[in-house]
Amino acid sequence: MVSKVVMPRLSLTMKEGTVGKWYKKEGQSVEKGEPLVEVVSEKATYDLEAPASGILRKIVVSQGSDVPVDTILAFVGASDEPVPETEKAATTQQSEEVEERLLASPAAKRLAREHRIDLSLVKGTGPQGRIGEEDVERFAKNVSATMPKIKETIPLSGLRKTSAERLSMSFRTAPHSTIMMDVDISNVKTLHEKLKVSYTTIIVKATAKALSEHSIINSTLQDNEIKIYENINIGIATNTESGLVVPVLRNANEKSLAEIDKTIIELSDKAHNGRLAREDVTGGTFTITNLGMFDVDCFTPIINPPEAAILGVGKAVDKPVVLNGRIEVRPLITLSLSYDHRIVDGAPAAKFLQKVKKYLEKPETLET
Amino acid sequence: MRKITYRDALREALREEMRRDPAVFLLGEDIGRDWGGAFKVTDGLAQEFGDERVRDTPISESAIIGTGVGAAITGMRPIAEIMFGDLTALAMDQIANQAAKICYMFGGQARCPLVIRTPFGAGVNIASHHSQSLEAWFMHVPGLHVAVPSTPYDAKGLLKTAIRGNNPVFFCEHKLLYPIQGEIPEEEYTVPFGVADVKKEGEDVTIVATLYMVHKALKAAQELEKESVSAEVVDPRTLTPLDKQTIIRSIRKTGRLVIVSEDCRGAGVSAEIAAVAAEEALDYLDAPIKRVAEPDTPIPFSPTLEQFVIPSEKAIMKAVKDVV
Amino acid sequence: MNLDLSREKLIEMLRKMIEIRFFEEKVFELYAQNLVPGTIHLYAGEEAVAVGVCSNLRKDDYITSTHRGHGHCIAKGADLKRTMAEILGKKSGYCKGKGGSMHIADFSIGMLGATAVVGAGLPIAVGAGLSAKLRKTDQVVACFFGEGASNQGTFHESINMAATWKLPIVFVCENNLYAMGTRQSKVMAIKNIADRAAAYGIPGVVADGNDVLAVYDAARSALRRARNAEGPTLIECKTYRHKGHSRVDAAKYRPKEEVEQWLNKDPIRRLKERLLQENVLASVEIQEIEKEISAEIEEAFKFALESPFPTPEEALEDVYA
Repeated sequence: MVSKVVMPRLSLTMKEGTVGKWYKKEGQSVEKGEPLVEVVSEKATYDLEAPASGILRKIVVSQGSDVPVDTILAFVGASDEPVPETEKAATTQQSEEVEERLLASPAAKRLAREHRIDLSLVKGTGPQGRIGEEDVERFAKNVSATMPKIKETIPLSGLRKTSAERLSMSFRTAPHSTIMMDVDISNVKTLHEKLKVSYTTIIVKATAKALSEHSIINSTLQDNEIKIYENINIGIATNTESGLVVPVLRNANEKSLAEIDKTIIELSDKAHNGRLAREDVTGGTFTITNLGMFDVDCFTPIINPPEAAILGVGKAVDKPVVLNGRIEVRPLITLSLSYDHRIVDGAPAAKFLQKVKKYLEKPETLET
Repeated sequence: MRKITYRDALREALREEMRRDPAVFLLGEDIGRDWGGAFKVTDGLAQEFGDERVRDTPISESAIIGTGVGAAITGMRPIAEIMFGDLTALAMDQIANQAAKICYMFGGQARCPLVIRTPFGAGVNIASHHSQSLEAWFMHVPGLHVAVPSTPYDAKGLLKTAIRGNNPVFFCEHKLLYPIQGEIPEEEYTVPFGVADVKKEGEDVTIVATLYMVHKALKAAQELEKESVSAEVVDPRTLTPLDKQTIIRSIRKTGRLVIVSEDCRGAGVSAEIAAVAAEEALDYLDAPIKRVAEPDTPIPFSPTLEQFVIPSEKAIMKAVKDVV
Repeated sequence: MNLDLSREKLIEMLRKMIEIRFFEEKVFELYAQNLVPGTIHLYAGEEAVAVGVCSNLRKDDYITSTHRGHGHCIAKGADLKRTMAEILGKKSGYCKGKGGSMHIADFSIGMLGATAVVGAGLPIAVGAGLSAKLRKTDQVVACFFGEGASNQGTFHESINMAATWKLPIVFVCENNLYAMGTRQSKVMAIKNIADRAAAYGIPGVVADGNDVLAVYDAARSALRRARNAEGPTLIECKTYRHKGHSRVDAAKYRPKEEVEQWLNKDPIRRLKERLLQENVLASVEIQEIEKEISAEIEEAFKFALESPFPTPEEALEDVYA
C-alpha cells in the first residue's frame, strides 16, 4: 500500500498551511526521512520528510496552495502499487468534517498518560506523523527543561486534607456574601483595661448577645432544613502549628465576661498544645475568626459549615472620624460578616451586625 | 552434545519411548519395514520392535486415527502418522470430534493419549495437496495440543513429552526441516509444552516464528544486525498451549511485533498471536503488528509460483523495517 | 434352537429388556414434561439386539455405541441413576452433565462412550480391538451401529482393517430400516448389509433382531470366533424403532401397516410368551419383575431429579486430562 504525505500540524493552533517548494518530482525515488516538500504555517517554515522509501508516485497539492492540516499532499510507494483517487475539493471538505484524530502508538499513549503529557502537544515523527514512544520521551525531556523545579512535595493529608475538604464544600455549597462594618472600640478598650478581660472575650460576648436577639443567624442548614439553636456555641478560630482548629465556647450568652475570658484561655492553651478533645471542637453554632494580629483590615472569611455565618475581626487602627462635626481620632476595627445567603438575606444579616456594633460601642450592657 | 538431523531426532524419540513403555506403538501408511516412512522417520523401527508395534495400515486416514483413538482410550499410547498434513482433512472427525472431545464430553472418565504426527510445508514442488500448513485448523480445536518443533533438539524433546502426556497431540513436522542438523545432548531430556524458546535475543523488534520460518527469521535477523536493527526471535514451540508470557515479555522489551508463519494469512496462526498481543500487550506496542505469511492461495506447482507464495527472508526484513 | 441357557440367564435377559423398555418410556415421559434438554433417540423396540449381544459379554469386554445408545449402555450394565442423571444434564450423571443422552459412557464396564457422529464408533472399535490384541488379552469388542452408518466411509475402512488384522470385534448392524427419515431402499442397492461382509473376507450373518435368543445365538458364535483370534464378524439384526427418529419425529414416513406389523413382533412380548410357554416363568413372576423394575426406574428418576445441575464454571474443566 502507498504511503500518504499529509499537511502536518506544526503548532497547537495551526489549522491550515501553505505548500511550498517540492524538492522532488513525480516519479523520482525518495528515501524515508529525506526532505520532500516545504510547508509553511503562520509561525514556521518546515521541511516535511518522506514517510517511507519508494517512488514519489503522485503530487496531489501543488506549490502555493493553502490546505487544511491532514490534507493529503502526495503519495509515496512502490511503482506497482495502486494510488488512490483524490478529489481536491473532497479532501478539503473531509478535513473539516473529520474530527481531529491524534495518531499515536499505544506505547506512546501509555507513556503520555504516565507523565501526564498532553499528546496534542507532542510532535510525531512516525509514518503519517504518528507519535511514537521516542517522541513522547523527547517531549518529556524538553518540557522538564521549561517547567519550574519542584522544591518540596507535600501530600495533602491529616488536618490539612480535612480542612481542605470542608472549606471546599462550604464554599461550593453556601453562596457566600460578606458585609463589612467599622466599629469604634474606644469603649471596648476601656472595658478591657478595667476588667482585665481580652478583646476577644468582649467580642464573643457582644456577638452572643446579638445572636440571642437575631436567632436566625444562630442556625445551620442541613438536608433542606434550617435549624435554629437554643444554645449559642461560639467557635473561635485558632491558628496552631498543625493548622486551623476551632474550639467551641458553649452557651456564650449565659456566661459572664470573666467566665468567657477564662474559658478562652483554657481552650487556647489546649489548642496550642494539641490537647483539644473531640467535644471541644464540636457543637458550634457560630464562628469568630481574627486576622487583626496580621495587619488585616477586612476580609472575606469562609463559613464554617454548616453554620449560617462567620464573623471576621480585623486590626484595630487609630483613624480620624467625624463626631459632632469635629475630626477626632478613634480606634476602629472592621468587622467582616460572611453569611450563607440561602439562610439569611442582606438586611437581616446587616441588622445582626449592627447589633454587634452597638454592643461593642456600648459594652457596659455586656457587664451583666 | 552431538549433531543429528531433525528426522533422526524424531526417530530417537520414538525409539526411546517404545523401549521405555510397551504401550507405545506406531501405525500409519508405509511406516513399517518395507518403506520406513515416506520421510524415513520410522526407518528401522519395525526391525527392532516388530511389525505388530510398527504397523502398516491400509490407506484409511479416518480409520487410522480412529484406531488410534480406540487404542488410546483402552490403555495404549499410539502414535499415528499421516503421510502429508494435507491428508488430515480425511480424518477430521476422528481428530476433532472424537480424540479431542473424549476427555471432556465423557466428564473426565477417559483420556486419549494419542499422538498424530504429520509433515506440513511447501518448497518441494508437490503442489496443492501435499504442501499446506494447516496448524491453525488444529489450534482451533479445544482438547488438542499442537506442537511445532523447529529444531532437532525441540523435535526430540517435544515428541517425548507428547508421547508421555495424557492428551491428544497434533504434532506438526515440516518437510524441509527433516534434513537439518542440530545439537542434542547425550543424556535423556524432554521439552515441556507451553514454553517458548527465545532463539535469538534482541532489542528493537520481536519476531515470533514457527517451524521452518524460525530459520528464515534467524537468517533475516542476522542480516538486520548489519543494518543495526537488533531482532529478537521467539519460537513458541507449541501453539496449544501457547506461551503468551514469553511473547508479551519480549514485546514489552522491544515495542514491536512481527509474526512469521508459513500458513495462509487469513485466520492463520499469526492472526491468533496478533490478537493475543493486541489484547494483552497493547500498551507496549509502538507500531502496528505485522504478519508475514503465505497469501490466501493454495500452493501452486511451478517453482516460480511456489517461491513467490512462501514467505521469504526478504519479506521478513521488510516487515521489520516497516515498523522500526 | 438349543441354546443351553440357564433359567437365570433367560430371566436376566428378560429383565434387561424390560429395564430398557421402561427406562425409555420414562425418558419419553420426562421429555414431554420438559425435563430433558435437547433431544432423545429412543431404543424402544430394539431391546433384543443390545441384550442379545451384551449377554455374551464380560465386564471387561468393550462396546461402542451411538446416539441411540441408552439400550446398549443398560444392556452392558450401566447404572440407571447415573444414566438418567446424565440425560437430565445433572452433575451426578456419568459425564457430569457434559455429554447428555448422545454421549453416555462408563469406562469401568467397558462402555467406551457413545458417539453422535454416524459411523465414528467403528474405527474406535477397531482401536479397542487392536489394543486388546497388542496387550494379549482375550477381550472382545462389540460395535453397534445402524444400517445408515454402513454407508459411511469409516464402515469400509474399519471392517477392512479389522478383517486384515484379525481383530476380536463383532460388528453389530442394527437395521431398523430407517436412517432418520430415509428408508434403506432409497440409499442402498442391496437388501442385506450382511452381504457386505464378503467384500472384506469375513462372515456376514443376518439375525432376527426382534428375537433375543436368535441375536444371542449369532453373537455367541461371532464372539467365540473373536476370542479365538479368528477375526471379526458382521451381524445384521433386522429390527424396528417403535417411535420416530427422535422425540420430535412423528415418523409419518413409515407406512401404518409396516409399523403395525413390527409392533406385533415386539421382542419383549415374544420372549415373555416363550418363557411362559416353556414354564420358565409364571405370569405372576413376570409381573413381579416388572413391578421391581418400575420401582428401580422411579428411583433412578428421583435421584436424577433431586441432583443439582453442574455449576456454570465447570464448563471450563476436563478439556485436558
